[in-house]
Amino acid sequence: MLKVENLHAGYGSSEVLNGVSLHVKPGQVVALIGANGAGKTTTMRAISGMIRPTSGSVLLDGKAAQGMGAARIARIGLAHAPEGRKVFGPLSVEDNLLLGAFSRLPHFFGFHRKAEEELQRVYELFPRLLERRGQAAGTLSGGEQQMLAIARALMAKPKVILLDEPSMGLAPVIVQEVFNIIRRLKDAGITLLLVEQFAKSALEVADYAYVMEHGQIAVEGTPAELNKNDRVLAAYLG
Amino acid sequence: MLKRFLLLRGAEIIVLMALASVPLMVNNTYALGLLTLLAIYGILLIGLDVTVGYLGQVNLAQAAFLGLGAYAAGLSATMLGYGMMASLSISMLVGLVLGGLLAFPALRLDGPQFALATLSFSALSTTVLNEWEGLTSGAQGLSLSRPTWLGLSMDAQGFYWLCLLMLALVWMLMRNLLASQWGRAFEALRDSPIATDAMGVGTYRHKVAGFALGSSLGALAGGLYAFNFQYLQPQSFTYDLMVILLLGVVLGGRKSLWGAFFGACLIVLLPNLLSNKLLFELISAAGLLLAVVSGVRAWKSKSTQHFQILAPIVAMGILVVGGFMVENTENWRKAIFALMLFSVVVGLPDGVMGYIAKLLTRILRVPPADIAAAVSLDTVLPKRESDGQTLLELNDLQRYFGGVKAVDGISLKVRAGQVHGLIGPNGSGKSTAVNVISGLYAPSGGEIRLQGKRLPSGSLLKVARVGVARTFQNLQLFGELSALDNVMVALKGVYRTPLPLLLLGLARAEEQRAQGEALALLELVGLKAQARMAAKDLTYGSQRFLEIARALARKPALLILDEPAAGLAHPDVQVLITLIKTIHERGITIILIEHHMDVVSELCDVVTVLDGGKVIAEGVPDEVKRDAKVIKAYLGVVQDDAPSDAVDRKEAPAC
Amino acid sequence: MNIEIIAQMVVSGALMGLVYALIAYGFQLTYATSKSINFGQGELVMLSAFFSLTLLNIGVPYWLMVPGGLLFGAALGLLVERAGVRLALQQKSEGWILLTIILGLLGFSSAENIWGRDDRPFPTPISSDALHVFGINITPLEISVAIGVFAIMGLVELFKRNTLLGKAFEAVSADRDAAELMGISATRTIMLSYGLSGMVAAMAGILISPITTVGPTMASALILKAFAVAVVAGLDSGFGVVLVGIVLGALESLTSFYIGSGWREAPGLVLLILALAVRPNGVFGKATIRKV
Repeated sequence: MLKVENLHAGYGSSEVLNGVSLHVKPGQVVALIGANGAGKTTTMRAISGMIRPTSGSVLLDGKAAQGMGAARIARIGLAHAPEGRKVFGPLSVEDNLLLGAFSRLPHFFGFHRKAEEELQRVYELFPRLLERRGQAAGTLSGGEQQMLAIARALMAKPKVILLDEPSMGLAPVIVQEVFNIIRRLKDAGITLLLVEQFAKSALEVADYAYVMEHGQIAVEGTPAELNKNDRVLAAYLG
Repeated sequence: MLKRFLLLRGAEIIVLMALASVPLMVNNTYALGLLTLLAIYGILLIGLDVTVGYLGQVNLAQAAFLGLGAYAAGLSATMLGYGMMASLSISMLVGLVLGGLLAFPALRLDGPQFALATLSFSALSTTVLNEWEGLTSGAQGLSLSRPTWLGLSMDAQGFYWLCLLMLALVWMLMRNLLASQWGRAFEALRDSPIATDAMGVGTYRHKVAGFALGSSLGALAGGLYAFNFQYLQPQSFTYDLMVILLLGVVLGGRKSLWGAFFGACLIVLLPNLLSNKLLFELISAAGLLLAVVSGVRAWKSKSTQHFQILAPIVAMGILVVGGFMVENTENWRKAIFALMLFSVVVGLPDGVMGYIAKLLTRILRVPPADIAAAVSLDTVLPKRESDGQTLLELNDLQRYFGGVKAVDGISLKVRAGQVHGLIGPNGSGKSTAVNVISGLYAPSGGEIRLQGKRLPSGSLLKVARVGVARTFQNLQLFGELSALDNVMVALKGVYRTPLPLLLLGLARAEEQRAQGEALALLELVGLKAQARMAAKDLTYGSQRFLEIARALARKPALLILDEPAAGLAHPDVQVLITLIKTIHERGITIILIEHHMDVVSELCDVVTVLDGGKVIAEGVPDEVKRDAKVIKAYLGVVQDDAPSDAVDRKEAPAC
Repeated sequence: MNIEIIAQMVVSGALMGLVYALIAYGFQLTYATSKSINFGQGELVMLSAFFSLTLLNIGVPYWLMVPGGLLFGAALGLLVERAGVRLALQQKSEGWILLTIILGLLGFSSAENIWGRDDRPFPTPISSDALHVFGINITPLEISVAIGVFAIMGLVELFKRNTLLGKAFEAVSADRDAAELMGISATRTIMLSYGLSGMVAAMAGILISPITTVGPTMASALILKAFAVAVVAGLDSGFGVVLVGIVLGALESLTSFYIGSGWREAPGLVLLILALAVRPNGVFGKATIRKV
């Protein structure tokens, strides 16, 4: 579904990614783990077009997506729930969700009716968001904002969701809840590329995983294989 | 070196001599008038360039300062009977004081708000000059006669030489000032105000001083303007003039005395060029040619955007075509200015002189200025004896952002001479903690003590001044400055020459010493060969090392390194480790925020682990790594019923 | 001192103030999406007024002239965005300040040469015979200004709140990167904001012209006060501009009555500089957190 080949990208004169290749098959949850500064988030940003890759290719459902702007990549079916959640603070929860479906709704009128079905589905998955649908997103707690960010990505009915550090800055109990949600998404057959600093938890939900070091993929394999790999642990605690 | 000196100074002297000798050769009142105006506008634009070029702010008040200075001098001469120099001094004083007063509020913000504030100031001064009829005679205008200088009455020729002398003087003083720490500070704060504060160079005071200086030069030009025309009207100093002045600076080239001079020539000659249709056609055709030629070159190199190439061509094309269609070009004066300015701003950001200077440097092979030899590291960073006492102490430090408790009651002690690691998962509050310590944020609660004394809170500058230096996770270099200048800006304990001597060019020895020290620090971090490169052109790894060198230039008691290894390639990480060890050996206490556990293990004497804004463990690295809470925080083991988890935990080797 | 005179001054000043508020609102629209404003907005007001006058002169009925003028304003707004703003924003520089000033100058010079330097009357079907309300003289024309201001601001706000595109507009102001990730093009949204801002400026021109007459310099004083209102209220504060506009307008007409008409520009300028000194983000603006 998502195929990344030899991706190079960076900020200004500095190159952060030196040739990243990875592959996400339909219905899979793939984890991308590694120490901070290894380039996980940069990989996500380069895939979704938030930064322009210097070379390499990104294929989304067989179509080349590299070098397009983020908005166009989003319109061809890639949803990116970015690091730090980035919900639209002043807007209501429901408006946030509607905007998640921006690219497939009419832009002036009648968008609400057309989004109704998807909204119901998302509210079923996240009942808390239904309770707070009229509230400004900025006033939600960190965990609720993370759920909103995931729900907003779902609204686009994307082919692939990129989920960047969903556990960041959250209390342990909430982190557990976030992982439960990821598991439910997996059961629903959603294709997911997950970046996580909590490698163990990520490996539990993932079908396949890549470990990044210094802007490259250092190790890859199924979670069972990686759990036996010393290098994986070494990437975290030396 | 000699060649450079001769070329640069020679050009200045030749142009000055040529200008001075014109009245001896040609006896033409009109030409003399233009030359006098050229000298006056030269001073005015050099002043404007301080704000527009060096400080990088759009300043719309310079025309107003010209007017205020003109009235100040005119009134001093007519009402108080002051002589030439006294009146001009009054002008400068008025510019300095009013400029300072305007700058205090206006420079707190930059960008559009600053431009708006200066625009309002201009409008307000026009209003005052118009309405305060008792003093200025309002719209009727103020007539005055040129006062004497040293008892000599001045004819047009004498006055021209006076103006030229003033221009030469201003030129020389400004050249000395801008080549000193002041000039570097002006440029540094444009690139990163935060880093300028963090390096102990007060952003705000330099901005205010720079603006006041520019304004007083504007007012001086105003004084000369008054004595040149001997008749003043408030309408002469409005927005229209301001736009023309901006045209001069931008077209001539920012951050350049020659650019200001060229701009002044252009402003003075432009009305004459416009009145002659053939000449105008020639100039606009030349402009179009230049736009096309540089456009084609840029298109070949593929580095510029299409808009940047096409827009100047279109604008110049309009100028050429319009020139044929319009009967009276003078009526379209403003539109012509606008089109020319537009093309230059979009297509030639360095201005005409910037372009020519680059060209000439290449053709004449002007060598770059010499750099003094590096001094020994012991002079720059003498070894400190560390007593192992507590250097920095945090007591229940808190920092909240809205409801988010980024730092939630951290207490810790950093001992002198140690490398103290600060680690924790993303969002655990490490960066916020050092941002509070270094003064970027004021704490929401708790206190920080350095050597037993309370650390100033919420001011990067004050914290920097008591001996804390830091680097930034997201680099905050002064991109346009060279690597050497980056370090020199931050250098502590070298710049002592008082301003008047510095203006006279008597700070050379000090400057040499500063260069030597800065170069020694660049050598320490392995960037000696890149000393002349602009910081923005360095590789990412080199930029990180440059930040460390710059922080060391503060000769700090405490050095905070915020993720220095982030984004570094593996070999560079090894170099970094060696570097930090060297710094440590010099007795500098270090707080190291780092994610790479291997780096932490190798360097740190003590490690404090944060999670959720709280301290969860502290101790020597090996101890901390085995701490169950730390493992959990890092690996995020979720305590649910997932069976694989239990198996894995047994398998996981103790690390 | 007569209370009725003061009331008269306050009311007619406040009505003028609403026009300042409307122009300031135009600044807010573009500032929200791009953190930039058009320094040549006054020229947009003036050019749209001239264009509308031309429409009337060639026989277009008043009520058809209004949308025509608004469209013209929107088109000019788009032109400013394309020629003066987009490149600078891409380069993350403040070149747009200079470029929009330059474009304004070009517009000014063009107007001088196309329509002449003289002030011209702007015909309107709305009566300017005074009505007496509680001892205050007020003309239907003045009332129409208030109605026009609120109508166009209301329309824009309705658009922003009730259409998905409007919500996208808010999303871009809240978080540009995140909006891009939703498939919302920030560049197009900024274009939209400049178009709307130009339209709002045109409306201000159409509303004020019958009162002030039309001429190349008609907006130069107006725009300074609109700047003052925008900065004092805060460039991101929504309806704060209306309040500040009304207060400034009233203050101004009192100043010109009691101190002298030449001083009528002064309160706005003083207020602006004071506001920057005391509350740099505006009376209603939000403080920003410095990030490194």
